[in-house]
Amino acid sequence: MIITEITEDKIKPFSSPDSNTDDTGAELVFNGRVRNREEGDEIIALEYEHYEGMAERELNLLARKTIKEFPVHDLFCRHRVGKVPVGEVVLHVVIRSKHRAEGLEAMAWFISELKKQVPIWKWAILPDGSKRPSQCQSE
Amino acid sequence: MKDTLLIKVRCFSQVKYALEKDKLTITLPVGSTTGDLENTIRQMAKNKLDRIHLRVAVNQTYIDQPVLLKDGDEVALIPPVQGG
Repeated sequence: MIITEITEDKIKPFSSPDSNTDDTGAELVFNGRVRNREEGDEIIALEYEHYEGMAERELNLLARKTIKEFPVHDLFCRHRVGKVPVGEVVLHVVIRSKHRAEGLEAMAWFISELKKQVPIWKWAILPDGSKRPSQCQSE
Repeated sequence: MKDTLLIKVRCFSQVKYALEKDKLTITLPVGSTTGDLENTIRQMAKNKLDRIHLRVAVNQTYIDQPVLLKDGDEVALIPPVQGG
């Protein structure tokens, strides 16, 4: 199963049932959080903007590609947009697979591709309230 | 028959910052390509986008090679994305 969502709301984790299939041995959860520095400068938040419509489609397309390329059962992803204060979760991904190895590999690939394909950008919000496009291109 | 195209341009991140706009409409001659549009936008930005690689999306789909534009197309010049 695939669920992808881009939301302005605070991220709520996907529920984790005890067993959705007898063949699932690994459940990986990734939470990406906003750090307090950007290019060496202190920040109070990041503001994420997205290309509405295209970002949702690209995210779902990427999830479908991941399920096709890797032997994983489920991929759930929530990406927050708008202003996200330091410390809060901006990206939440759950992958379920038979064994951990393929799940870990799928998780790394999915997040790496998300950072190349999905039209989402971040602006650094500085302590004085001003904002500038983030220069961060880190993997 | 019209001899110009009206193109809707969406601006994000560094493009928005350089142009100080998130949307604009540009008139180009019939026969213009996405490459022509990119050149126009880069000129409007007065060198602020010189070192920034821009991908192009036409009607919300990435394209890898320049294509002819059609009247009413929505084009985004996409700076490196930064999700996650």
